[in-house]
Amino acid sequence: MRNVRVFFKKFDECKYISHLDLNRVMLRAVGKSRLDVWRTEGFNQHAYITFALPLSLGFSSECESMDFRLLDDGMDLSLIPEMLNVCLPEGIRVFACDEAKYKPADIDAALYEAVLTADDISAKELYTAFSELLESDEIPVEKKTKKGFKTVNLKEYVRAYSLLLDERSVTLSITLPAGSSTNINPTLFITALEKKTGAEIYYNISRKEIYTKEGVPFA
Amino acid sequence: MIPKEVEKYLLKVQKPGRYTGGEMGAVIKKKEDVEVRFAFCFPDTYEIGMSHLGIKILYSLFNEVPYIWCERVFAPWIDMEEVMREHDLPLYALESGDPLCDFDFIGFTLQYELSYSNILNMLALGNVPILSKDRKGLKNIVVAGGPNCCNPEPITDFIDIFFLGDGEEVDLEVMELYRVCRKENTTREEFLRRASQIKGVYVPSLYEVDYNDDGTLRSITPRDGAPAKIEKRVMMDMDKCYYPSRFVVPNIEIVHDRAVEEIFRGCIRGCRFCQAGFLYRPVREKSVDCINEQTHTLCRNTGYDEVSLSSLSSSDYTQIVPLLTKLTEWSKKENVSLSLPSLRVDGFTDDILDKIKSVRKSGLTFAPEAGSQRLRDAINKNVFEGELMHTCSVAFEGGYTTVKLYFMIGLPTETYDDVAAIAELGQKVVNAYYACENRAKGQSVRVTISASSFVPKPFTPFQWEPQDTMEELRKKQQHLKSSITTRKITYNYHDSDTSFLEAVFARGDRKLNAVMLKAFEKGIRFDGWSDCFSLQKWLEVFEECGIDPAFYANRKRSFEELLPWDHLDYGIKKSFLQSECEKAYRSESSPNCREKCLGCGAAKYGGGVCYEKR
Ligand code: SF4
Repeated sequence: MRNVRVFFKKFDECKYISHLDLNRVMLRAVGKSRLDVWRTEGFNQHAYITFALPLSLGFSSECESMDFRLLDDGMDLSLIPEMLNVCLPEGIRVFACDEAKYKPADIDAALYEAVLTADDISAKELYTAFSELLESDEIPVEKKTKKGFKTVNLKEYVRAYSLLLDERSVTLSITLPAGSSTNINPTLFITALEKKTGAEIYYNISRKEIYTKEGVPFA
Repeated sequence: MIPKEVEKYLLKVQKPGRYTGGEMGAVIKKKEDVEVRFAFCFPDTYEIGMSHLGIKILYSLFNEVPYIWCERVFAPWIDMEEVMREHDLPLYALESGDPLCDFDFIGFTLQYELSYSNILNMLALGNVPILSKDRKGLKNIVVAGGPNCCNPEPITDFIDIFFLGDGEEVDLEVMELYRVCRKENTTREEFLRRASQIKGVYVPSLYEVDYNDDGTLRSITPRDGAPAKIEKRVMMDMDKCYYPSRFVVPNIEIVHDRAVEEIFRGCIRGCRFCQAGFLYRPVREKSVDCINEQTHTLCRNTGYDEVSLSSLSSSDYTQIVPLLTKLTEWSKKENVSLSLPSLRVDGFTDDILDKIKSVRKSGLTFAPEAGSQRLRDAINKNVFEGELMHTCSVAFEGGYTTVKLYFMIGLPTETYDDVAAIAELGQKVVNAYYACENRAKGQSVRVTISASSFVPKPFTPFQWEPQDTMEELRKKQQHLKSSITTRKITYNYHDSDTSFLEAVFARGDRKLNAVMLKAFEKGIRFDGWSDCFSLQKWLEVFEECGIDPAFYANRKRSFEELLPWDHLDYGIKKSFLQSECEKAYRSESSPNCREKCLGCGAAKYGGGVCYEKR
């Protein structure tokens, strides 16, 4: 038995599959692929699959992963992506499969790219406002915690960022803490920006990479 | 595909996965490659529509024809509707993202009366003129199929064509005709006229109706060669009947998220309140081999690990034990569980119980429908108390601790004693639990009694019966509630308000079209959802239209009266329905089709149970 990790992209229509539903979609795909996967014991037996880091509804991603235990020790792992892809909707594409190298607990940060537009203000204005916001020492937002809402200073969590102005949009690349201990959602910055500008902002967010504590891509 | 303008707002609505398409099994074709574009519309939410078997069958059937592209459309939930109206986004089909008004055919399935308001709303949201008379040329042909086509009179102003009975053949014939008419460049009227010559097709605009002074129907007159009687279509050979080998598998959770295999059509029972039991006569079974093969293929192609064997009464399948034996040969190995919905009390044999053990131990569900034996005889629900007690005991021995019992109140001939008998029956089930020696240790029993309000339906022996008034129904609900004396019984009752509206539209005539239109104008929709339904609003609409809803719901009709659906032929003789109704008055039950043929009329289709050896 081997602990196997597959990596997949999630995009287009499949961005709108919630984490809970993704579990269902993947279970069916694994079942349909007829991969020899370890199953849970008990009354309702199903393949045992886990995900390293949940993705927010509406985000696309280039670096999602799913773990399972393969019972067939001799199997060529490079066959697995295609076996799963034929069982998945078009917006989920598995591109790699290997034995798991790191533990999900090793995850420390993630890189996101957010493309922003607004109807009420120009891209230029949006860019200026966002630059100001990101440069200031305090970016206060209300964050939902288990105990209710509390105000946090987002600025403390920014590991690195860059901001780019396009003709009609503004693109933010930002590295934020991720994982089970601290997890910062990039939409918090957009909420702060909406508050600052008073404009309704539309966004497209993609997770580009997940990093371990050593700063290397999660594998 | 999500239209670009829509995607911008998708994260602002609940469950955006309802509006995206892109599921495994969704069929994408090139517009240029097809001649007929069909928008299959389900007048309810994605989660409900996608659970429906009919849409799965017809979606695959249409898409197997190279020149047709069938897509899906569902009613947007109110938050999404608001977004669409605010930003002028038309209702679109999930596959192409194209607006409804781009389609040649717009097809609705009529499953329940309370979804009619959504049909009008969906047409309007899709930029399609809602009235048939305002739609011009050979496009936007609005068609409808499904059980409610047996009395479509309340919505004849909005729908161009109704399909009666099984849709597998007639739909394709009409699309083929459309293709021909477009080549010949005929008028819309000519196409409809020719369509009316196809068996199973009802074109309402080709019929004139006339009323008596008291508001009842005087006559229904066809014109332009349309048939005086429109006969339903039936697929007689179920093994040869089209069945899909794959489903569109949703990305988000839906109500019934599993593979479904239809094992037979129709029902032998003839419960007198049940419309499906008459509309789908005669019973036609699929063979064990056919079901086995189709089920296996479906599970393989979809990845579902649960399959439900669907029919109106699963245990009436003549080969049920051999079938389950055959299915479990592979299902156990492949970790697929089988479920048998609509099991009858007497169908719960050890053999069956044993085979479906792989299904999670959810509670048992039975539908005695009435509390007393007298009333069960009158409605011809042949469930006996002894059987029910026996089955419950067997289940309790097997570790079950919850039982759900479904009843109706307001049934014809019902007395207050019959209502109280519902509580007594529940009590007897509770007692049976404590009399059972091997019951689950240390656990108490939960019996749930659900009572819905009876709605008289066309093509049933009770089609002439008045519905109890809402006030009377509420009194009966109270009486039932006060008759329950133990806390082991939970009592749920359904709102009588929606049942009243259902009763009005189920047996309505063409005068109700004006009511539908006004309701739409007032923004009424999603009547099947308690968060949207308002009887008050509907009563205002009736008032404004000068129509008394009680005329339809609460009036006793005479056997002589011309009924709004008398020009539609579902193979059941009116005289048969009348004799069944008269038997009900005498509290007499009838044998089922396998015990004895009662000559209902369905034998004219030349097959099925009518020709089985008895
Ligand atoms: S003709 Fe007889 S056997 Fe056939 S459906 Fe009617 S009652 Fe049943």
